[in-house]
Amino acid sequence: MKRIFLHPLAVRIWHWMNALGFIILIVTGAQIRFANAIQMFSFETAVKVHSWLGFILLANYFIWLVYYLATGNIKIYIPPLNHPIEFAKKALIQAKFYGWGIMVGDENPHHSTFDHKFNPMQQVSYLMIMVALIPVQIITGLFLWDPHLFGPAVNLIGGIQIADLIHVLLWIFFSAFIIVHFYLATLGHTPMAHIIAMFSGYEEEHEEHGHEAGHGEEHSHSAGH
Amino acid sequence: MDNNKIIPALLFIPFLIFLSYVGTAKGAAISSPKKEVQLCLACHADNTLKKKLMDKEILSLYINANDFDASVHGKTGCTGCHPDITMQNHPRVKMIAGRREYVAKLSRNCSVCHTPEQLKKRQPIHSSLASQGTCVQCHGSHYIKPVAAQKAAVKDNVYCLVCHRNNISTSMKNGEALSVFVNETALRSSAHGSLKCTECHTEFSKNRHPMRSFGSRRVYSTDLAELCWKCHSETSKRYKTSIHFEKLTAGDLKSPVCTDCHGAHSVASIKVDKAVGLRSCNRCHDNMNSSYEASVHGRARGKGNEKAPVCSSCHNAHDVQFTAMTTRIKENCLRCHKDAGKLHNKWLSNPPITLPSFAQTHFDVVACAACHSAGSERAVYLSLYNSRTGNPLTEDELAKILDTDSKGLAAKIDENGDGTIDAKEIWDLFAYLFKKGAAPILIGKMDVRTATEAHMIDSKAEATKDCDKCHSPQAEFFKDNFVAIKQDGGTRLLLKAKSEVLNSVYTILPARKFYALGSTSMKLLDILFIVALIGGIAVPIGHMSLRIITSPLRALRRMGKGGKK
Repeated sequence: MKRIFLHPLAVRIWHWMNALGFIILIVTGAQIRFANAIQMFSFETAVKVHSWLGFILLANYFIWLVYYLATGNIKIYIPPLNHPIEFAKKALIQAKFYGWGIMVGDENPHHSTFDHKFNPMQQVSYLMIMVALIPVQIITGLFLWDPHLFGPAVNLIGGIQIADLIHVLLWIFFSAFIIVHFYLATLGHTPMAHIIAMFSGYEEEHEEHGHEAGHGEEHSHSAGH
Repeated sequence: MDNNKIIPALLFIPFLIFLSYVGTAKGAAISSPKKEVQLCLACHADNTLKKKLMDKEILSLYINANDFDASVHGKTGCTGCHPDITMQNHPRVKMIAGRREYVAKLSRNCSVCHTPEQLKKRQPIHSSLASQGTCVQCHGSHYIKPVAAQKAAVKDNVYCLVCHRNNISTSMKNGEALSVFVNETALRSSAHGSLKCTECHTEFSKNRHPMRSFGSRRVYSTDLAELCWKCHSETSKRYKTSIHFEKLTAGDLKSPVCTDCHGAHSVASIKVDKAVGLRSCNRCHDNMNSSYEASVHGRARGKGNEKAPVCSSCHNAHDVQFTAMTTRIKENCLRCHKDAGKLHNKWLSNPPITLPSFAQTHFDVVACAACHSAGSERAVYLSLYNSRTGNPLTEDELAKILDTDSKGLAAKIDENGDGTIDAKEIWDLFAYLFKKGAAPILIGKMDVRTATEAHMIDSKAEATKDCDKCHSPQAEFFKDNFVAIKQDGGTRLLLKAKSEVLNSVYTILPARKFYALGSTSMKLLDILFIVALIGGIAVPIGHMSLRIITSPLRALRRMGKGGKK
């Protein structure tokens, strides 16, 4: 067994804050929306918790952004745009692995290292999530938090209903995503391998899966980050 | 003999002379006007000569000989104007009811020389006044000066009053008489007390008095409003944006103009008399007064608080808006309640930062009365506007686009004829309007149902603070929805809409600026959320199931690998 360092402390703190925040936001969002069917909290409490968490995740997003920009590690999110066909092929291979290879015991075509943490599918997904979906969710959340304060910007996108529509559609997406994300996190060499790695920073990998990587550490499957 | 007895005795002497003259010249014509005057003045030069009329009023019969001689009628003699007075028929035997009747009767004698045709030709206004027999009122009687001298003798701001301080009137086309009397005392003490008449009545001067014709007294008042606008141009601009002006231009002559609130000559200033903004409104809107008086504002005023708002404080004095179609009235609430945002923040805020703008978010779409008029019925009003101009898309405009008339409009929108508007019908209406080049939008507002309720603002202790009244899928205040279309003349066409009209994807775009957390949620998105959750759970379950099913394959492969190894 080899231990591969994947997740620095800052990333781990960011990840778990984000995870917890996401879950509470999704749940309080459901409480606000389905007040007649769910009575976990009062409307006021749900709104207050939702607003607090929104701002915490807004700050958390900037922690992520500053960390990755400052360290230059943002590159792990950027697909190789100069080799699009090769990248598409790798993504297809990765998709085939999850759809079939994993069933028949194929080796994961992607081996994570500190500098290549994401497989092509993850790279595209997380890039979209981090540079588009979360910012849009934060911005529309701010619009809904105080529509008058952000009135000119709200009008720019057509109106507060449009902001709500976008925010709710993304809430729906993230609700489904987080379930799938959690499942994918169990697809390491053991069901807990990725999850433990997200706490310890290190992922264990069988010897036969390893080969020398950029940092002298061995590769690992990675479903989360 | 004491003086009291001597003086009447002396005064009686001229009368005896007159009688003796009459006795000698009885039946004979007086040779010249000069002699005639001398004859009359034998008595009338006495400045104590008076007559008690039937109404007990004392009429002086004194004539100042010099002034009369200098007047334009100095050479015409007495009988030129008093043809009915002869040696045989002197007024001493006549019975005169009163001064007014006497003056009117004598004024008609003026027309013997100054014929209506002549007057009309020279100064048209005289022809109508002469028929009222009031020449003497303006020109006086025995000392009438040449016109030029008369004009030179009086200042501009008094000249008009020479006539108009008298009880004169003019006739309207519909037969109404309009008093053109000006109360000089009231005028001088008014806001316009120092102005010349001609500064407002610019058509008139000492040399020009056009003969005008108006359909009725009301037409006269509304037409003359323009006189005020010449000076009060900024105010007139505001007035021209008002519902009052809109109604006026639509032909509703009852709609108020300047003079209805401020008076014509006794012009009141709101700076001096704030109650103008209450009294004048109550002339038409008295049905609202009892609800105002019952309100926290009316009660404060009743207790003597002069700062308490009156009608114009909230509705504006000049740019009075159609309150039901806008949320603009709240601007006037906030003019006094400047710290309303911060005060609302005590219970209405959104963490982690408390901002007045969050309260303002509510003010934008909730009428103050909706929370502060305790016990009122509430509804959501979706008012049809033109998003390009920011003005209401009116009933007439809409009917024209839909190729119908105002009567057929509701049926045209309510396609299935069930008496309520549903979301699909709103979508169809908007799709058609867009196709025709219009830019409609529904501006939502939570408001009370009646104007009476809107005025019954109560103390803040009675105000609604329960979020669930609005922010819940079954929000009590969202049960009744109306589509409101502005009509000419300050009314609106209200079309009842289905309660779930704001929960449909069909209204996302039409009502894109109206949103209430929890109560305007799209049902389709709720379904999508459930589907996404099921999908999110199904993917892992499906994948895991496949992995379980295919586990023998992996086992075989591992065995194969092991064999090789």
